[in-house]
Amino acid sequence: MGRGLKGLLLIAIPVFLVGWLIIYPIFAAILSTLFFDGPEGLRFSTASYQFFISDPYSRANLALTLWTTGMCAVLLLIVGLPIALYLRFSTNRFADLVQSLAIFPMFVPSIILSYALIRTIGPNGTVDILLNAVGLPKIKSPYLTPWGPVIGLVWDHLPLTVLMLTAGLGSISNSAIEAARDVGAGPLRVFWHIILPRMGNSILVTVSFTILGIFSAFTLPYVLGPASPEMMGPFMLRTFNALYDPLNAKTQAVISFAFCLFFGIFYVWSIARNQKGQSR
Amino acid sequence: MARLTIDNLRKAFAGTVAVDDFSLDVADGELVCLLGPSGSGKSTVLRMIGGFEQPSSGAIRIDGQDVTRLSPERRPTGMVFQSHALWSHMNVFNNIAFGLKLRRLSRAEIRDKVEHALELVGLAGYGTRQTFQLSGGQQQRVALARSLVLEPKILLLDEPFASLDQHLRERLREEVRDIQQRLGITTLFVTHGQDEALAMADRIVVLRNGQCEQADAPDVVYRNPQTQFVAGFIGQMNFISASVEGGRFLHPDFMLPVNVPDGPAVLAVRPEALDLASAQADQGAIVLRSTDFGSHIMVDLQLRDGTRLKAMTAPDQRWQKRASVHLNVGQFALYRDNHLLTIGQPVGGSEQAPEVEPALSV
Repeated sequence: MGRGLKGLLLIAIPVFLVGWLIIYPIFAAILSTLFFDGPEGLRFSTASYQFFISDPYSRANLALTLWTTGMCAVLLLIVGLPIALYLRFSTNRFADLVQSLAIFPMFVPSIILSYALIRTIGPNGTVDILLNAVGLPKIKSPYLTPWGPVIGLVWDHLPLTVLMLTAGLGSISNSAIEAARDVGAGPLRVFWHIILPRMGNSILVTVSFTILGIFSAFTLPYVLGPASPEMMGPFMLRTFNALYDPLNAKTQAVISFAFCLFFGIFYVWSIARNQKGQSR
Repeated sequence: MARLTIDNLRKAFAGTVAVDDFSLDVADGELVCLLGPSGSGKSTVLRMIGGFEQPSSGAIRIDGQDVTRLSPERRPTGMVFQSHALWSHMNVFNNIAFGLKLRRLSRAEIRDKVEHALELVGLAGYGTRQTFQLSGGQQQRVALARSLVLEPKILLLDEPFASLDQHLRERLREEVRDIQQRLGITTLFVTHGQDEALAMADRIVVLRNGQCEQADAPDVVYRNPQTQFVAGFIGQMNFISASVEGGRFLHPDFMLPVNVPDGPAVLAVRPEALDLASAQADQGAIVLRSTDFGSHIMVDLQLRDGTRLKAMTAPDQRWQKRASVHLNVGQFALYRDNHLLTIGQPVGGSEQAPEVEPALSV
């Protein structure tokens, strides 16, 4: 009895905080967008959700958020996987430098990154100045276009992606790869038949994790993204702050949460499946 | 089946020489064991033959063809790794079939070859099992089948039984030896277990610090070790340090006539070459312990200069702890600076007990 009680006490504070600061607000938000006080008492209505679905601007914002998230996830895998492969299999000293560079963005605050990108690839930024110096035309700046947040978010999420993929690659032993080469597989076939199937789970986890982070991103889309359509983060803030419309802001939050919940469940499922695989 | 030739192979890692001027000829169908302590370079030699390490210099030839710079996938070698290295996302069948699929064989041909390979290693009907459902010994058999199915010219085994228990190891090494002889495949086997080498090899190559100390048949390596290191590494050996003066090996406890130049020397005697005879109290070596192994008794002794020895005696001889005994030396070897000076019997003939002249009572 004593040990059971001690165990419960150990987890009591985090469970209480999760319940109070996360679970309760979630249910409160969901309920407050569906049930309203009226002259006839409590009334159920899905009007705010109907508005969101019927409103082209809201739909465009959701579509932009989904597009940005998907694009970032794909680009992160395309950029992160070769770096992770290099870090896992390289034995020279240059790998340490590459690792430091890959991890560096983790220590740069988003707001500083945003302004650095504006000064670099924004109108009349460093790139334009350099191009102009050699007599070339200016670039078509991604600043204030959907590509602005994509570039910033990929840069910002690269360290986490590389770390997670490298950890996934760490579970593949050198001898498993050497055995494949021994039976005749070249580097590409080793990657396709041996490495990729065995790190499928870590790719799923990485994608789920980055999607969760990017879907609810605020700073980078707010500073670098277009004014219209806008991503869900800035959209929610503007609806709440500028339009004084807490009901629609909450509805947007619940819809964002529903998408994140889907990826969250996917992430938890991947972790559980991985642990089950390891316990074999 | 093929012949392997290694010429002056050298490998250095960041200033450390792992393999130094190593040469070896392996005949068609021969099983050669590379034996040595950890860090002796034996696995590095094997990995260079497999193509997983590039030699700093030297050449590796298989049937006369220089394969030194070929990548592993282009070499006619098959390697079995210590850790089995099975691919856990594939079942047993697919693990073995992977190499055949890469060679674009027909499905029927792949199925036939895989089933034959599974039969060869005694795992017929295990194709649909997942690798994690197999025991360590079964996993190692799958790894062996995966290499054999591709009919490599040279089979390389890198301490394949190291992760198995003693009983399984003994059984599997007999099976591997049996398969190797049936197929007549040229094989290189790396181990640090001398019993494994003695039991399996046609020839043992003893390595130390990246260099070959001796390459001979197991009985030659055991009975005529050419260096003090080999003498100590293969089987049990007693070493007694003293000096040779005037044709006599002079130990404070005894002397032995030997025909070698004067100077410091190390006398090497196997436990089975030491006979014991009872001595008066406080004379001779002291019995420290006597262990009954059923077929023989191993007696631990201490000379008066503190040197500890082991003597193997018949099971009917019982030696009390702290008893005093005389030593009769049979076949011995004498080394100086790791090099062999002489191997022989003490003067007086090999049949009778050698004449060890006690300088002091032993």
